[in-house]
Amino acid sequence: MAKFEVMVGNKAVAYAAKLARVKFVSAFPITPQTTIVQYLAEMMANGELDADYVNMEGELSCQSSAMTAATTVRSFTATSGPGLLYMHHPMHMTTWARLPLVMAVVHRSTKGMQPDHMDTMSQRDTGWLMFECQNSQELLDTGIMSFKIAEDERVRLPTIFMGDGYILSYTSEPVEIPAQEEVDAFLPPYKRPYPMFPEEAEEAMKLMGQMWNPFVDPQNVWKQQQEAAMNAKTVIKEVSSEFEKWFGRSYGNGLVEEYKCENVDAAVVAMGTIASTAKTAIDQLQRDGKKVGLVAIKSFKPFPDDDFQRIGAEVKALGVIDRNVSTGTLGGITFTEIRHSLYDLDERPKTLNFHAGLRGKEVRVEDIKRMAEKTLKAARGENVTPLVEWA
Amino acid sequence: MMSKPVPLSKLDEKEFILPANSACQGCAGSIVARIVSKVIGKDMVRQEVACCGPAFGNITQPVFYGEVFEGAGAMMTGFARAFNKLGRDDIRVTGIIGDGGTIDIGFQGLSASAERNEDMLWVCYDNEAYMNTGGQRSSATTKYAETTTTPVGEFSRGKKERKKPLPILVGVHRVPYMATASVAYPEDFIGKLQYAKPVKGFRFIQVSAPCPTGWRFDPMYSVKVAKEMVLSGLWPLYEVVEGGLRITYKPKELKPVKDVLRSQGRFRHITDEEVDEIQAEVDGFWARLLEKDGGPLF
Repeated sequence: MAKFEVMVGNKAVAYAAKLARVKFVSAFPITPQTTIVQYLAEMMANGELDADYVNMEGELSCQSSAMTAATTVRSFTATSGPGLLYMHHPMHMTTWARLPLVMAVVHRSTKGMQPDHMDTMSQRDTGWLMFECQNSQELLDTGIMSFKIAEDERVRLPTIFMGDGYILSYTSEPVEIPAQEEVDAFLPPYKRPYPMFPEEAEEAMKLMGQMWNPFVDPQNVWKQQQEAAMNAKTVIKEVSSEFEKWFGRSYGNGLVEEYKCENVDAAVVAMGTIASTAKTAIDQLQRDGKKVGLVAIKSFKPFPDDDFQRIGAEVKALGVIDRNVSTGTLGGITFTEIRHSLYDLDERPKTLNFHAGLRGKEVRVEDIKRMAEKTLKAARGENVTPLVEWA
Repeated sequence: MMSKPVPLSKLDEKEFILPANSACQGCAGSIVARIVSKVIGKDMVRQEVACCGPAFGNITQPVFYGEVFEGAGAMMTGFARAFNKLGRDDIRVTGIIGDGGTIDIGFQGLSASAERNEDMLWVCYDNEAYMNTGGQRSSATTKYAETTTTPVGEFSRGKKERKKPLPILVGVHRVPYMATASVAYPEDFIGKLQYAKPVKGFRFIQVSAPCPTGWRFDPMYSVKVAKEMVLSGLWPLYEVVEGGLRITYKPKELKPVKDVLRSQGRFRHITDEEVDEIQAEVDGFWARLLEKDGGPLF
């Protein structure tokens, strides 16, 4: 039986790992991630979770050990901000080795303690899948789904599920904990992704031979990862609807969540807790008769470009909120990705961009309402400058 | 408990290393790989990191290639923990790692794995520089050696600093097993590997592996140079078992270091005073080892 408990976001993350029956956890403290591994340590101390838990000497080693452990057992690690940057080097190896490791990232700025999305954005091209969460329930649910998506044979890529630090990590709200038997039925036991045991030497050597075969196109490593990441879009949708059947909850189609987007002229686009704040802003605006909805990006990698093409054909303007910046390029990272997705449309909507919430700067309902109003103005064909602004 | 020398003839004839490789002529590292693979054999899962290993280590056991140069300790931790979790503690997680990946960039992971007493066998083949990238100085390089990043010139005498005393550093972690070995003394090396193989926990062997390419001597003399290093005290053979030190090969009298230094192009420039300085260093260290022999390391 599922049960409810009031818990902080970090505990919800720990529950996800526990319910997935992870067998290896590598831990290293960094605010605001630390209590995840503390909760897991408690769960193991109480006999609720049977896993090997290792206190590593740094995040680089956390990532490296969880990577090799994932050749054999379901593995998990977690980090934040600068810790994630320290993992960057082995993260590329984890995708090269195609190991379905799952990691939780509690967003922390790379320049300060407060949250923004620069930590995961800095890992954008490592080849990891990345799923954003808006609340603690979504963290728990997405964590469980992440294992299933990552381990799917059509995907087999390491996966990050993530949420904003402090706003989620240390804030309590009621969370439904699914029953273990139901999670077991939803998420099958871990399958070793390839031969690594000594008695499998012959098979393993063949794989190594392929890896280093000079007659194979050297670009294949990336090409295959790209195919897998693109395949993931289908798998994410499947897993999302299967999860809904089992547990009665879903987050859009798993790639984007469209909130009150029927018959709207414009939509605000956001990720993470800004999207959850935006829901209140949209409620208030629609109550006042404003025809503006919300699109929450659920999957950042793979990027839901098909969904944005569909949505872009239906609205006249999109106001994109980016909790990040790619300096030297006009506009934030999801703004750039969305404009890229929209390019092939015959009639493209106007696109506006707002840098907001960097280094933990608060993004309030009123801020989002103002952004939405500006987007509506653009939808009416009025002049709205600047195109990209710092909110 | 201690290791006992094992003659080469006692080793299984089966080879776990393919007969051809792309190592340099006279590569002592490939001797290390061959001996380790014969002793650990079919129980081995190997970790590799950036080093000459990919050139000579064509061992027919599963291997995880480590793009992560600094990650040997952590990656072997992941393997050992995961295998043990599945009840596969018969698998011997083995690293054949160069001196850079052990003593420099890999040092944090080495020390941490030793501290946690992870179940792994870490064999460092020490060629005293980053030989795979063309012979750059490492902290394992001997003082005054010329490397491509410590060239000798009007204002430079080669490497300025002493070699990092890694075996002692690992020994003071009080790991189950720590030893030095040399390709010139395979019986001693095999004995140490056979002792270490079944031991649970962290085991470390640092093997002297002279590099003709980087040290600049005729490739036919790799084993001879290694032997002279042992006989002169430049590379003492000893082991530390749970904190207790034992010299495993004791020459009656040490040969002067001068000849073995002078036989290598990398020391061609050194003066008699510089030789004397190294000699004093070696004599001092040997005297301390003799003092500690049969007793605790610290």
